Amino acid sequence: MPEVITPILEIRDAILERGAQDARKCYQCGKCMSSCPWFQVEAVSYPVYRFPQAVKLGVVTSSENKEVLAREVEDLFRCFACDACRVACPRGVDMAKVLRAVRRILVDYANLPQELRSMLSKTRSSGNPLGEPREKRTAWAEPLGVGPFTPDMDALYFSCCIPAYNQRAQSLAIATATILRKAGLTFGTLGASESCCGETVCKVGAEKVFSELAGANIAAFRAAGARRIVTTSPHCYSAFKTDYGEWGFEVEVLHETQLFAELIERGLLKPRTKVNRRVVYHDPCLLGRVHGVYEEPRWVLRHIPGLEIVEIENFSREQSLCCGGGGGGFWLDRPPDERVTNVRALQAYRTGADTLAVACPYCLQMFEDAVKVLAVPMEVRSVGELLAEAL
Amino acid sequence: MSRDVFVLVEHRQGVIRDITFELLAKGRQLANGYGGSLWAILIGADLEAMAESLRQVVDKAVVVEAPRLCHFHSDYYQQVLATLLQEHRPLFTLMGHTSYGWELAPCLGAALGIPLAPGCIDIWLEGELAVCKRMVYGGKIVGEYSLRPSWGYLVTFPAGTFPAAAPSAQAGLIIRQQPPQLEEIAEKVFVRLMESPAGEVDICQSQKIVAVGRGIREREHLRLAEELAKTIGAVVACSRPIVDAGWLPKDRQVGSSGKTVRPKLYLALGISGDFQHVMGMKGAETIIAINKDPNAPIFSVAHYGVVDDLFKVVPALITTVQGMQAK
Amino acid sequence: MRIVVCIKRVPEATEALLRIDPSGKKLSEDNLTFGMNETDSYALEEALLVKERVGGSVTLVTVGPEAAEEVLRMGLAKGADEALRIAPVGVEEADPALVAQLLAAEIRPMGPELILTGCMASDDGSAQVGVYLAELLGMPHLSLVVGMEVSSTGEVTARRELEGGVLEEYRVRLPAVFTIQSGINTPRYASILGIRRAASKPLRVAAPPTGEKMLEVRQLAFPPAGKKAEILQGSPAEAAEQIASLLRSRALL
Repeated sequence: MPEVITPILEIRDAILERGAQDARKCYQCGKCMSSCPWFQVEAVSYPVYRFPQAVKLGVVTSSENKEVLAREVEDLFRCFACDACRVACPRGVDMAKVLRAVRRILVDYANLPQELRSMLSKTRSSGNPLGEPREKRTAWAEPLGVGPFTPDMDALYFSCCIPAYNQRAQSLAIATATILRKAGLTFGTLGASESCCGETVCKVGAEKVFSELAGANIAAFRAAGARRIVTTSPHCYSAFKTDYGEWGFEVEVLHETQLFAELIERGLLKPRTKVNRRVVYHDPCLLGRVHGVYEEPRWVLRHIPGLEIVEIENFSREQSLCCGGGGGGFWLDRPPDERVTNVRALQAYRTGADTLAVACPYCLQMFEDAVKVLAVPMEVRSVGELLAEAL
Repeated sequence: MSRDVFVLVEHRQGVIRDITFELLAKGRQLANGYGGSLWAILIGADLEAMAESLRQVVDKAVVVEAPRLCHFHSDYYQQVLATLLQEHRPLFTLMGHTSYGWELAPCLGAALGIPLAPGCIDIWLEGELAVCKRMVYGGKIVGEYSLRPSWGYLVTFPAGTFPAAAPSAQAGLIIRQQPPQLEEIAEKVFVRLMESPAGEVDICQSQKIVAVGRGIREREHLRLAEELAKTIGAVVACSRPIVDAGWLPKDRQVGSSGKTVRPKLYLALGISGDFQHVMGMKGAETIIAINKDPNAPIFSVAHYGVVDDLFKVVPALITTVQGMQAK
Repeated sequence: MRIVVCIKRVPEATEALLRIDPSGKKLSEDNLTFGMNETDSYALEEALLVKERVGGSVTLVTVGPEAAEEVLRMGLAKGADEALRIAPVGVEEADPALVAQLLAAEIRPMGPELILTGCMASDDGSAQVGVYLAELLGMPHLSLVVGMEVSSTGEVTARRELEGGVLEEYRVRLPAVFTIQSGINTPRYASILGIRRAASKPLRVAAPPTGEKMLEVRQLAFPPAGKKAEILQGSPAEAAEQIASLLRSRALL
């Protein structure tokens, strides 16, 4: 017998009010589920297509059973905000936005997984999700002589928190700084006044923390007189380009791969050293699907002598599979059989590539972890690191 | 006004617990400093041997024996102590900031209407004003507090705050005191002591321990600790949050509510080092702590520290040790 | 069964960078995240489990400023029935003894059969309020409880945690106060329905005259850092080298 559900209108309205209007467009065709990264993970059944309907009925997290409720809440934080379903959806439903609306209500009541609570607490107290001191934020830049940005410079470089504090990821920022310098560009950073961009914080649903971070960064950008911002992370890129827009922030923002392509085109960079690698490029969700930047990173790779590019069949460009780091996933602890990262790393490895090229610090960290866990002989490098090798 | 110092003797199954001798050390310093005598208050049944061992440390040992006192029970203890304290009015009465102190001190303080300074690291008088120092916010902040003026103060100290008092040639006086009439308390009946079941690994028997705390962040990262432990021939132990999260069994927990260990090597990874944990491992011969927070209290108990990300240091350490072993 | 749960709003200090307010008497709060004290959330969960088994109501009580209502709302969202915030007149920071007196005065007329609270607040670490409260109410208490079963006859079998992993079991007759240790259960999430309902559940504010304080903060400071450990300098690899040679020189490899 079919279950009879009585719609709870006040809940529906509360969720719609927080930005879930797209739920109304859904007709439950299920394409979102088959395009979802979780569909590739055998151990997890994630019927994401149910959410819009549950929102329309106001029955999200409706179980009276505490174990079932815990699973429901945790499912709401499974979404990587990778946008694969929006692209696949015949009605263009922005599922990440629908789920973010629900998360906002939960987060207001500190009702979210502990790892994310801890991440938010550290972000509030230190301005970065790792809880590292602000003074150390640009420690990576000091040996290179990269200093504070001044208005006469060509660009303001925004490294992202992960390269700022993580030793492995630091080489992303160092590679970028080295490349910009070789191209003769002048650039600087915001120094200790730089805060986390807040993209993940926003996707997690922590509105208040996000607005604090965005407000602080916008004020710092304005005070510094930034006109052109270059980011290493597609997440910072997307935050500045899209999310900060609501605050009237309109400054030219470039992802570093876009700038690298421009510099090669203008003849300011001439990659001459051979980099004998067979490279598979992984499209970061926010750079590719969300902002349509597919060509520039590949264009840069193609200009590296000796480097051979391969693609992951059926899972490249628009169909790229998320690394599992978006939407808060980077901070969540998942058992090995529940990691889409491993699925993606194996897809990349099976192309026969010896190197997995990434263009995002989250992807870098997720895949570095995966290749260790899976013990596959494949190196993870950023496009910037590979370019720096060639200069 | 009396300047005497009382120390409540904490004992379990016929054995005086270490905390008592630590309190007696502090008690001696306070008694000498303020010109009073040091008293041990020993409550229970069958106390002869224990009383004898206290004589070398104290000026006076009050021994209160009754069948109803055969096991610690806060209500019976409270009745005995309330009578003693009202009669003698000691300046300070010291107890452990332990499971016994937590159960007993607040209600005794409330019943007598005298201030309780809980979990202190020090206490002193400024004129007639009593002032105490305590660690707050998980040991990250030290706070100084003044106490409401009173004839006496209850003070609890966490285990491990002071070195234990050493016995001297002293022969303290043993005073046997009749307990007050102890009515049966039917509202709260002690049933039994339960030992936790023995696990597969006995961390107390291991010479080397790799211990993990909250800083390990994810269950999955335990593998890193296990790999390090395997490399150096250690076992993996942990602090309380790891057990609460269900990542390791209770018998791997080091600290006041877990095991007390004295290995040759204690390698603390991502452990902040609150006092409950520290009291379980401070006796280790060599303590090395890796924590990225330079203000983590663990560094005040460790012999060597690395202020850095454990996820950077531990893999490097595994590689280095494996390299040495290969040679 | 009429159940009262005493909870406290505390900063999440473990991983946060702490700063001391210019007054020197409290933390600077503007960069901190606050939430329900950890062991209190276990106490609340235990109360909800008891209510599910034997029926009754759960009343939340806290002492604190208006901001403390956020933890009351969180508790209401999880299934508590009503809440009371006690805001004593003219008191900015209440000490544990004062908190217990204020709680006792407000809770006594409620006539609860079961009072639960966390065994220790993570901010001041006093571990006093629950037991102090029991004494003021003339009820038996048990602290550091890691397991409890409530019978229909109003008797509770409970185990408290001693040092060294040893447990003490007691039989306690209600009404009584239990202070709950972490790990006794798994605190639940709130549902969105619960969150919405919380907004319309009764939340009362009482502003009684102040009671008697026993402790007064004079100043907060940072403890001297690393006063004992010799800090091994250098990169992670260099630090690892130094640890390895330390281990070798002490025959620990």
